[in-house]
Amino acid sequence: MYNPDHTKPGSLKSRFTTRFLRALSKIHAHKPISSSSPTEMFQRYQRIKAAADKSMAYSVRSRRTWSRAMLWKLRTRSCGRRSVKTSTIIKSQQAIMKKTRHEKQNENTTTTATTGEDGVGFCVEEDELREIVPGGEAMDLCNLLDETAHYIKCLTTQVQVMKKIADFYSL
Amino acid sequence: MENRFFLDAGIPPLHFGSSLSSSPMSDWQSLSPVMETQSQDCFPTDYGLQYESALSSMVSSPAASNCNMSSESLMMSTPLNSPPKLNLPVPKSMGMNSGVADFSADPGFAERAAKFSIFGSRSFNCRTTQFGPKDNGEIAACRFDPSAANVKLPRVSSSPAIKTLAANSQEESTVSKQHPEPGFKGPNSRKRKAAPKAKTNETSPSPSPNSSKVIKPNEASNEKRCKLSESNENENGSGKAVEEDANGSNTRAPEPPKDYIHVRARRGQATDSHSLAERVRREKISERMKLLQNLVPGCNKVTGKALMLNEIINYVQSLQRQVEFLSMKLATVNTSLDFNVESLMSKDVFQSNNTLQHPIFPVNSSAFLGHQSQQNPPLHGNITNGTMTQCSVDPLDSAICPKLNTHLPQINQFIKTVPQYPTFCEGDLETLVQMGFGQNQSQEMALHSQNFQGSNQVSDMKVEL
Repeated sequence: MYNPDHTKPGSLKSRFTTRFLRALSKIHAHKPISSSSPTEMFQRYQRIKAAADKSMAYSVRSRRTWSRAMLWKLRTRSCGRRSVKTSTIIKSQQAIMKKTRHEKQNENTTTTATTGEDGVGFCVEEDELREIVPGGEAMDLCNLLDETAHYIKCLTTQVQVMKKIADFYSL
Repeated sequence: MENRFFLDAGIPPLHFGSSLSSSPMSDWQSLSPVMETQSQDCFPTDYGLQYESALSSMVSSPAASNCNMSSESLMMSTPLNSPPKLNLPVPKSMGMNSGVADFSADPGFAERAAKFSIFGSRSFNCRTTQFGPKDNGEIAACRFDPSAANVKLPRVSSSPAIKTLAANSQEESTVSKQHPEPGFKGPNSRKRKAAPKAKTNETSPSPSPNSSKVIKPNEASNEKRCKLSESNENENGSGKAVEEDANGSNTRAPEPPKDYIHVRARRGQATDSHSLAERVRREKISERMKLLQNLVPGCNKVTGKALMLNEIINYVQSLQRQVEFLSMKLATVNTSLDFNVESLMSKDVFQSNNTLQHPIFPVNSSAFLGHQSQQNPPLHGNITNGTMTQCSVDPLDSAICPKLNTHLPQINQFIKTVPQYPTFCEGDLETLVQMGFGQNQSQEMALHSQNFQGSNQVSDMKVEL
């Protein structure tokens, strides 16, 4: 029943927790919650959400495609338009992937149902999954499922920790 | 290099043909008397493995064959023998003319096949020392470096340059004569190639008469192996290949793990490379779907990949929304509290919530608890409105609650999927009790009591959920 958050100092949970708490303290130190305008609240919410995503992605480092994609996304968002080149490269790669997938789908749809249930390719759901999982556009289904599994694991950790923190501080 | 001679089929070896055809044939000719006098201990057994590896690498990298007909004829006769022979680009006697004539003729060919099959079993496991120190370098280079096959070509070509033009011309004629055959025998050569591979795997190098029998059962698997190697090289799944090997798709030949996956077609299933590769892919995907099923709660009953994917997508979306909601909640938290990392990381805080309840604020907390116990079971939007009216309405309330209300429909969705979510209400008081605040405790309690009204809306946020 006890969460082994402290017993495994190198675990994903502990790494995420330390990073996230540090980020939270920074955010709160930066702008104490004296004013209560909705816009400020919204900004703060966005910052906290970004901090959560960032700390999770940093805890995973670059071992996973989704973490790399997420870090890249966060960096480009914060840095503005500095990395336009890389974005165009990645977008072209994604476009190529989409093209090949559409070609495959065009071949498949003639023979299989369009709901996506067939032997080899899952058209609709696969695309949805790609949109949800960061960095999923440029992966084949096999790797995509791998990444999804790891992403789910990390998301559940994130939710658990954030819940506990929210519980802790919401009184 | 020599392996390429065997494997590539149907490509007329014109430019190299003469030279290369001459060398193996001459070798063959010269070797026939030589081998008889040959002592044992020619090639080590591991040569067979290297031969296989060379074979497989050759299969996967189709290069222009330079000596198809000769190689194939050699293959058909003595697959085990030919490598050692081709290692020797030795300009032997000119008796090759007769040899060539015999070579092209089938009966004479069959004769030699029989002869060399015997040699094959013997010499395959031998190391040839008689072929001279001059050849050893080449042999070593040729044998142990199949990847550098391209490099060996010039070496082979250089040696036949020593031969006379007459011989070359005659070889060319023989080459041209045998053109129709290689094309026909292409697939056979591949099969034959595979057959000795299988044979060596089984460590029973039987003579060639048996090879035809052995070919058929192994044909499919070896073809698969060869072709899968082609397809899988492109996939670049070396890591996954190892994983696939470990996971095991049916019976696999005990070959050393290469860059490609070895898969054996099951009985009654198609054996062409496309369907095999697809089957491998499908198995991988189903494997991963099973892993995902374990991760996603409530997916055990769902069957079918599309439904599973839908479930997974819904779950991921719900998790993402949960993160958003929690970050929103954290944004509204009263920051008079100290974000004390050490205290948070303490054991007590991160213990999972027990069901014990120790009300700290007797009056307020009991009211609060009463609140909670009422509100917990039916978590609906209606109740939020009810709780809202009971508290003092702060401007903060009005600011926050609309936002929360917008979140509520989503929350209701994932509350069903995350049933443990409501239980945190009891845990909050718990954490207060269990926290080892030390000197801060009294201060924080004072804060809590002061801010209770202000934080009521925060607790209402919880209760609403």
